[in-house]
Amino acid sequence: MKLETFSRRRRIKIIGGAHQKNFVADSDAATQNIAAEFALTLKGGEVIALYGDLGAGKTTFVKGLAKALGVTEVVTSPTFVLMNVYRAHSKQISRLVHIDCYRLERAGQLAEIGGDEYFGNSDTVVAIEWPERVNTVLPKDAIRIEFNLE
Amino acid sequence: MTILGIETSCDETAAALIEERRGRFRVLKSVVASQIKIHEQYGGVVPEVAARNHLITLLPVIAKTLGKTIPDVIAVTAGPGLVTSLLVGVQTARTLSYIWKRPLVAVNHIEGHVYANFVGENSKFQIPNSNAKNKADANFVGENSKFQIPNSKVRFPAVVLIVSGGHTELVFMKGHGQYELLGRTRDDAAGEAFDKGAKVLGLGYPGGPAIAKAAESGDPKKYDFPRPLLGSGDANFSFSGLKTSLLYRVRDMRAAKVRFTKKTTTDLAASYQQAIVDVLVAKTTHTARERSVRTVLGCGGVMANTLLRQSLNTRLSQQGVYFSVPPINLCTDNAVMIAAAGALKARRKEFTSWNAVDAMSQWEIA
Repeated sequence: MKLETFSRRRRIKIIGGAHQKNFVADSDAATQNIAAEFALTLKGGEVIALYGDLGAGKTTFVKGLAKALGVTEVVTSPTFVLMNVYRAHSKQISRLVHIDCYRLERAGQLAEIGGDEYFGNSDTVVAIEWPERVNTVLPKDAIRIEFNLE
Repeated sequence: MTILGIETSCDETAAALIEERRGRFRVLKSVVASQIKIHEQYGGVVPEVAARNHLITLLPVIAKTLGKTIPDVIAVTAGPGLVTSLLVGVQTARTLSYIWKRPLVAVNHIEGHVYANFVGENSKFQIPNSNAKNKADANFVGENSKFQIPNSKVRFPAVVLIVSGGHTELVFMKGHGQYELLGRTRDDAAGEAFDKGAKVLGLGYPGGPAIAKAAESGDPKKYDFPRPLLGSGDANFSFSGLKTSLLYRVRDMRAAKVRFTKKTTTDLAASYQQAIVDVLVAKTTHTARERSVRTVLGCGGVMANTLLRQSLNTRLSQQGVYFSVPPINLCTDNAVMIAAAGALKARRKEFTSWNAVDAMSQWEIA
């Protein structure tokens, strides 16, 4: 059985911030391009909540975001380490925080790993995967991005 | 020289006391307060990953490790890892260093994994007690062992494969303490591929052992999964696409109303495991050949995987390369390896003052 792997399409819906948009991406590269375009709207201080199942494209999106914000390090999955902090080199944004709540099971644990300390810092953008695990402590103005596989 | 090792970089709270004499190690005590059994009760997701848990567990673990001994040197994992977790170990170590007036060594967690190879193949650790039900009777492991002859078959330079839940890296090791990063994962670590694959297949946590067990009765050739970056010619890895391909495969089969028998799951697990192992083995053997080394060291939690250990051993010995791998209980996070790496640094007088040591969450060994 030969498997078709990367040709699946994903729908990306951005709600909040300067964006109210729907996108369709047919590859990882397209997902990263959408992220790069979205990055242009960021001013610093944003919290971005990335909703979607395993393999829906959340980390791929953050890779594109990081590249557009001038992060030179390789963005890897934060599932195991829970949080990665990258140095960004964009106009006002000097830090990208990539948090993964996949292994968390109480909202309070976000504070225990030190994640919420980065919320609202004007030089920092925070991207959170599996935010539904910590919904109650997310800022009200968090930008919501939904990923769905077609 | 006795060395206390302290490890709190991720989920495991661990302490160990080892004795070093002319480059030989003797493990006096090793205690790992494992949380795996607690995790299982929560349906496969790690519930207590937070620093608070280390805070509760670390002092009893150190007390149990030391008894009445005051060590000559204190070695602590200072990174990489989650900063709030690292801080618990680092603060404890600097306090002990100050109170006891004993020198302190900051150890890189990954270098610790490497040094699990030098503790000795035959140390008599027990497999962690799998019947522990809660933190109170958490898995306290440890037993006295004889002085171990250090791994005398290791010849430098060597290539090191580090594979765990958070890391997948190939490192060139010129000599003790000298590293050069050759390649790493561009997305997910191999251990994460196991964990998330197990989740997709409904096999539970931790994913590595769950997939390995299911794979025992499965056909590794039944399903064709991609071998990402297999022919990329460099030492980098990518496992995210492999995870996604398993997800799509399962989704397609469900959509096509394929009946999921036990055989379906075991075949999927075996094929998926084979894909991960194939990539790790191919990249490692290729790198060993390219660098003309005579030794490959394996380490990290995923090195507990039997198929990976056997495949690397077979393929590397065919190439005339010696493959060194720690006993299984020293592959997963522990403090013996931290103490061993710390002993090397202590011999070289690479101490850090108690008031200067700090947690470095993204500390690279190379």
